[in-house]
Amino acid sequence: MTDKLLTARLTRRRVLQGASALGAVGFSSLSLPRAFAQEPAKPRELIVRAWGGSWVDSLKAGVSDPFTAETGIAIRHDLTEDNEIQPKIWAAVAQGRTPPIHVNWDTTVNATKSALRSVTEDLSDLPNLQNTTELAKPVGLDGYPIVNTYGYVYVLAYRPGAFPDGPPTSWKVLLEPRFKGRIALYNDGIGFHFPAQVAGGGKLEDIPDNMQAAWDFIAEVKKQQPLLGEDPDFTTWFQKGEIDVACTISTNAREAQKNGIDIAWVVPEEGAKFDTDGLWVPKGLPENELYWAKQYVNFALSKEAQQVWLDGLGLPGVVPGLEPPADLADDPAYPTTGEDFNKLIRISSKVQVENESDWFAKFKAIMQG
Amino acid sequence: MRAARTAYPLTWRIMDALEAFAAAVWPARFDRAIPWLMLAPALLLVGLLVLGLIQIADTSLRTLDTSTFLMSEEYTLANYNRALTESLFATVAMRSLVGSLIVTVITLILAFPYAYMMVRTSSAILRKLLLIALFLPFFIGQVVRAYGWLIILGNQGIVNEAFGLIGIEPLRLLYNYPAVLFGLVQYMLPFAVLMAAPALTAISEELELAAGSLGADWVRTFAYIVLPLARPGLIGAGIVVLTLSLTDFAMPAILGGGSQDFIANAIYDQFFRTSDQGLGSTLALLLVAIGSLLVGLLFTLFGAGTLAMNKVRR
Repeated sequence: MTDKLLTARLTRRRVLQGASALGAVGFSSLSLPRAFAQEPAKPRELIVRAWGGSWVDSLKAGVSDPFTAETGIAIRHDLTEDNEIQPKIWAAVAQGRTPPIHVNWDTTVNATKSALRSVTEDLSDLPNLQNTTELAKPVGLDGYPIVNTYGYVYVLAYRPGAFPDGPPTSWKVLLEPRFKGRIALYNDGIGFHFPAQVAGGGKLEDIPDNMQAAWDFIAEVKKQQPLLGEDPDFTTWFQKGEIDVACTISTNAREAQKNGIDIAWVVPEEGAKFDTDGLWVPKGLPENELYWAKQYVNFALSKEAQQVWLDGLGLPGVVPGLEPPADLADDPAYPTTGEDFNKLIRISSKVQVENESDWFAKFKAIMQG
Repeated sequence: MRAARTAYPLTWRIMDALEAFAAAVWPARFDRAIPWLMLAPALLLVGLLVLGLIQIADTSLRTLDTSTFLMSEEYTLANYNRALTESLFATVAMRSLVGSLIVTVITLILAFPYAYMMVRTSSAILRKLLLIALFLPFFIGQVVRAYGWLIILGNQGIVNEAFGLIGIEPLRLLYNYPAVLFGLVQYMLPFAVLMAAPALTAISEELELAAGSLGADWVRTFAYIVLPLARPGLIGAGIVVLTLSLTDFAMPAILGGGSQDFIANAIYDQFFRTSDQGLGSTLALLLVAIGSLLVGLLFTLFGAGTLAMNKVRR
C-alpha cells in the first residue's frame, strides 16, 4: 500500500516537475561526481538492511522516506540480523552473484570484517563526506570501505526504583549481592570488556595484550548470575521486572524510557565504551544499482537526514552543527565535546576485529562455565 | 472360430491398449529397476545431505585468517584441536548430552501413559480430547511456545502471581537449566506420544486380558506384556526425542537466559558472531557424530530389530 502511494505521488511529481527540476530542488545533496554521461537508470527499489523497532523507524523517517521523495526510488528495509546477513553477502560476492541487499547498516566492527574481506565498495567519492567529522572515517582502513554515520555509548542502564540513594556511579555496582540474578549483559559481552578492564583494576593501554583484569572482573560478575541477551531482551527484562541493571546502548534505554518503562542511565566513573555504526555497499551490484546505493549513503550523510535520523536514535552524528535532542542535552551518553569524549573508552575497530574471536571465547567460557 | 474383437467389452479393449502402451514404454526387463526408481527421491535427498556434509567437512579443515576474514587454503586439524580441548565446548557438549538424556527419560515417562490412555480408552470424547491436545501444539511453533513460557513463568507471570497470593516472594523460574529442560520436555511430548501410540495400538488388548485371567496383576501385565511389546515404539520415540533435544537451538536460547547454551547455540555463535565458519563446521560435524553414535549405541543395546522393521506381522 505504501509503495503504491509513493509511486502515485512520484508519478504525479514527475509529470508536474520533470526530472531536471528535481535536481534543482534537492539533488545537490545527492549527486556523485559524474562518472556517467547520463544519470544511470533508477532501480524500482533499493534494499537496505536495518535493525528493527525504533532503529528502522528512525532511518525511515530521516533517510529512506526523504530519499524516496527526492529520487522516486522506493526503499525496502531488510530486518535480517547484521550477523546473519553477513555470510549471505560474503557467499554472494564469492560466487559472483548479486548480493541480497544494496546497503548494509552495520556495526563498524562487523563492517570492518567485510572490508578486510574486500566485499565492500569504496565510498571515498561521496560528496557529503567533505562535510563530516573525523568520526566518519573508519580507523585502520584505507579509504572509505565503510562510512561511519554516528557514535553510541554502552551505558549502565538501571531501574531508578532499585537505587533509592541515587544513581550508580561505578560498574562495581554489578557485584552488589542485592543484584544477584538481576543483571543483564550482551550475550557476546560486547560493550562490557573495556569498562570491565578498568573496573577490574587494569589499564586501557594493556588492551589487547593483557586483559586479565577484565576477565577477573567478568568472572566476579558471573557469580551474580547475569542474564545474557540482545537489545530486545533488555527492554523486555526491564519491563517485566526481571532486571535492575544492564550494560546496553543508550538508544535502547531511551526507547524503553519513552515507552513508559522506569529506566535511567549513567556513564560510570570507569568510563563506557564508545563505538560507531556505519553504512556500506556490497560489491557485485549492477552498475546502476551501485550508483543509487551510493547516492543513498551520500544522502544519509546530509545534515538534514542526520538530524532527523539521529534525533530518533538519540545519538551524535558525523556532521557538524547537529542539534542534540532536548532530552539528551548535557547527557554524557550523547558526547559532543572533547571533555565528553574523555569520559568514554574508544578502541579501534581493527584491534576489536582482530581480537573479537578470542574475547568472545573467553567471555563465553566464563559465562557458560 | 475366433470371436470378433468387437465381441469384447470396450473397457477390455482400452485396458489392452494401455497395457500395450505400458509394455512399449516400460518393457518387462526394466522391472528390476522399479524399487530403485521408488527410492530415487530419498536417494536424491540423502545425496544432497551427503554433499552438504562433504562441504562442511572441507570447511572444518580450514582456519579463519582474521586479517582478511577468508578461510585458509591449506588443510589443518586446528579447529578439531580447539573443539576438543577448549573447556567452553566441553561444557556445552556435556550440558547438551546430559540435558537430552534427561529430557528423553522424562518425556518417555510422561508420553507412555498418555499414549496408552489415548489408545485404550473406550470413551470417544476422551480420545478426541487427547488427540486435540496432542496435535494443538504442532500448530504453535517452538519459538512461540518458548515465549509463552516466558509469560507464564516470568517474575510477573501467572505462576509467580499465584505464589504472591499465598505470600511467597517471586521466584526465578526462568533462565536456568531446569527451565530449558522443562521447555524441551513440553516441546518433545507430542512427538513421543505420536511415536509410541502405533506400537501400543498394535498390542492386542486380549493379551492383557489373558494375562489378567491367568492371575497377573496390572503391574505384572505392564512389566511382562505391555512394556516388552511396546518397546519398538518407545525406542523410536526415544531416538526422535534424544536427537531433537541434542540439536535444539531455540529453547536454550530463549529459556536459558544466555548462559545455558547447547551445541547448536555454540555452532550459531561461530557462524554468525565470530564469522569462523571453520570452527562452526567442526562443531556441526562433531554434533552429527555424537548424535549418530548415540543412535548406534541404542541399536547395539536393543538389537537391530528394535523398531520391528525386520519382523513379519502375523
